[in-house]
Amino acid sequence: MMREEIFLGNGAVALGLLESGSQVVTSYPGTPSSEILPEVVRLIKSEGLNTYVEWSTNEKVALDNAFAAAVSGKRAACCMKQVGLNVAADSLMSAAYLGTVGGLVIVSCDDPGPHSSQTEQDTRLMARLAKVPVLDPSNPKEAREMARLAMELSEEFRIPVILRPAIRVCHARQALSWGPLKNNTKKASFEKDPGRWAATPRFRFILHGELNEKLKKIARRFEGLTAHNFHDLEPGKKYPLGIIAGGVPYSVIRDILLEKDRKDIPVLKIGTPYPFPEALADTFMSACEKVLVLEETDTVMEYFLRDRQKVLGRLSGHVPSEGELVPQIVYSLVDKVLKDLGLIPFKGDGNQDALDLVASLDLPVRRPTLCAGCPHRASFFAIRKARPKAIFTSDIGCYTLGLNLGGVDTCLDMGAAITMASGFYHSFDQDQVAQPIVATIGDSTFFHSGTAGLLNAVYNDARFILVILDNEITAMTGMQPTPGLGIRADGSKGKAISLERVVAGCGVDFVEVVDPYDIKAMTKLLKKATEYVNSSTGGIAVIIARHPCVIAYPKEAITERKSVMVTDDCTECSFCLERFECPALYHDEELGRTNINHSLCTQCGVCLQICPKGAIVEA
Amino acid sequence: MQTVNIVLSGLGGQGILFMTKVLAQAALNKGLKTMGAETHGMAQRGGSVISHLRLGEVEGSLVRTGSAHFLLALEENEAYRNIPFLAKGGRLYANASPKSFARQEVKPYLDKMEIVYRAVPAEKIAAGLGTPMSSNLALLGFFSAFEKDLVTHKELRNAIDQVTPSRFKKINFKVFDAGFEMGTQ
Ligand code: SF4
Ligand code: SF4
Repeated sequence: MMREEIFLGNGAVALGLLESGSQVVTSYPGTPSSEILPEVVRLIKSEGLNTYVEWSTNEKVALDNAFAAAVSGKRAACCMKQVGLNVAADSLMSAAYLGTVGGLVIVSCDDPGPHSSQTEQDTRLMARLAKVPVLDPSNPKEAREMARLAMELSEEFRIPVILRPAIRVCHARQALSWGPLKNNTKKASFEKDPGRWAATPRFRFILHGELNEKLKKIARRFEGLTAHNFHDLEPGKKYPLGIIAGGVPYSVIRDILLEKDRKDIPVLKIGTPYPFPEALADTFMSACEKVLVLEETDTVMEYFLRDRQKVLGRLSGHVPSEGELVPQIVYSLVDKVLKDLGLIPFKGDGNQDALDLVASLDLPVRRPTLCAGCPHRASFFAIRKARPKAIFTSDIGCYTLGLNLGGVDTCLDMGAAITMASGFYHSFDQDQVAQPIVATIGDSTFFHSGTAGLLNAVYNDARFILVILDNEITAMTGMQPTPGLGIRADGSKGKAISLERVVAGCGVDFVEVVDPYDIKAMTKLLKKATEYVNSSTGGIAVIIARHPCVIAYPKEAITERKSVMVTDDCTECSFCLERFECPALYHDEELGRTNINHSLCTQCGVCLQICPKGAIVEA
Repeated sequence: MQTVNIVLSGLGGQGILFMTKVLAQAALNKGLKTMGAETHGMAQRGGSVISHLRLGEVEGSLVRTGSAHFLLALEENEAYRNIPFLAKGGRLYANASPKSFARQEVKPYLDKMEIVYRAVPAEKIAAGLGTPMSSNLALLGFFSAFEKDLVTHKELRNAIDQVTPSRFKKINFKVFDAGFEMGTQ
């Protein structure tokens, strides 16, 4: 009963994890990993599996939970984006030493580009740092196979194993044939062994030795893992140039060489960059005069190759050190290497004249923007109105796009809206400067990393306004529920966590809720909060700006539709276009005024409150 | 079969992912191997969005510049921006006014490369049927009027049937067929 179905790469990972008998899957959403858990949920529902799934509050929480499952002898997986692994790093480093009983696969999705992340960091380096094996798939099909392999390796060697699909694997679509999935019936059991599970530094030294032994064995296994590590050398033949590639760059160069029919360039594909199959690489290197390394995003395999004289790559300046290795970049860089080495270059160029032509057109760059009707837009508008001189610390989510509205000055990492606000406060306060500060953070981000920073800020008497933008969803990553909503990953009911109570529990005495669609009320509340922050008996003021996301909950977000129009009172001052930037508002050349694009307008009516000339009115 | 490379472009929210899904499903139904690449995340909030779809025996999901056989664009500027993807003799379909498409500056290049370009007011068609956000289906319908060798109108219609949630089926077919009509005129 096998059937063919087109899977998203993240769905292929989900499939592989369930085929390997994952009994527990935890995750925190983040592009490009967000669809893995929803795909797991879809499959367990259609197949009637009893896999436990959860959206954890953050990646460290997710990993700790999955680790415990693996310690109880079960098979567990934990999915996140690459910067999420930073949050889980504390857990990862220690888990590598402790080892597992069952299987533990950590899926950490990389984002070369970057397309939707704050860094281009390479998970393979984290694996090396933690001393755990890492598998690097080139396409969805291989990602699925590697998910299974990772689970088996993990259980056999009792070590966490990382699978790192890059964004072009996660968001690729490929047809896979698959059949019925079965429940894994392994039961939980925990044998007390505090010497291991609560190891003191002295025993950690022994565990480190064990870990090193495991890695040696795994390295030997990888040498012969021909399904994922292979080359196309002909016996006895010598080559002027060979290519070592892994992950997405492998599939890119494979396609180019096939298309150009270049059998004179052998390729060694490495699916297991750590521990690195050194003997296999040595064999390949000895048949080639020069070897070009293609890998994303950082330099990993290139460092592992021992014959430095032969290696071309980032260190030699042949491969760009930042950005994605998209086909046209690989094409021209390999072409240049061919020319430099006096070999036959590729025919045709990378369409440079077309690229120049497009550059000369000066096309408007469409920056992402908050959706029409987005409650965050209203919040930022009110914040700028009430506190124009403030430093606006912000955070990671849709609302980072408050940048366009002048409502975001900083975005460091998850939770830093709060911690940077307190940092700024103390820096200015030390100089006796009363610098206004308004921090903005989303509900999901607050649950992820907000509380520790808020506790700290309250305890150390920082003064600022914190606006929690509560749209009752994790929107940017594709609408995952938050703890505030009380809906769990599988759609079942959980206990809703009250933001108000959490904030109050952090020691904040000023907690008020407002609907940001009412810009006047929000502005008024911000003024009241300012007084509180500035008074000697005051403290941190928290405003919860609560209004449902207009995409996730279109009905609840806009209960009363208002048809809007712009009158001839419009003086073309552009205030609304710059400070409010609703995608449905545009400058109409013909009419000589602002106009409404009714196919984009959600009829939220918020813009009725913003035009200084009163030119936006109800139709 | 030789590899077929398709690039789909537009702005976040215009339904590029859906268009890609329909084409991929139609290809799968014909027994073709497919590999696609999509944009998720921040760009979906109104930024430039691009999807790649490759039919045939390929390893990678991305189309190289100069190698796309088809470019489907839901927005005029996004059509121009992605012209470098088109191979010689490629075909460009854009949601734009047939009267003004393409801009004078790009015509010499399109002609030199023997690129066939066709514009259809997909958004107007969709808006006329009361669903302005469905210009993706109008463009697909229009496309199917010309590219029978790749995929016929009927094959695409079946694929839409498979990937559309039932409550949108009627309207999706209506817009799709209207785009097709426009192409056959
Ligand atoms: S509608 Fe109002 S705010 Fe917008 S440009 Fe016209 S006068 Fe300025
Ligand atoms: S009513 Fe105004 S603010 Fe709301 S979506 Fe329409 S134009 Fe934008």
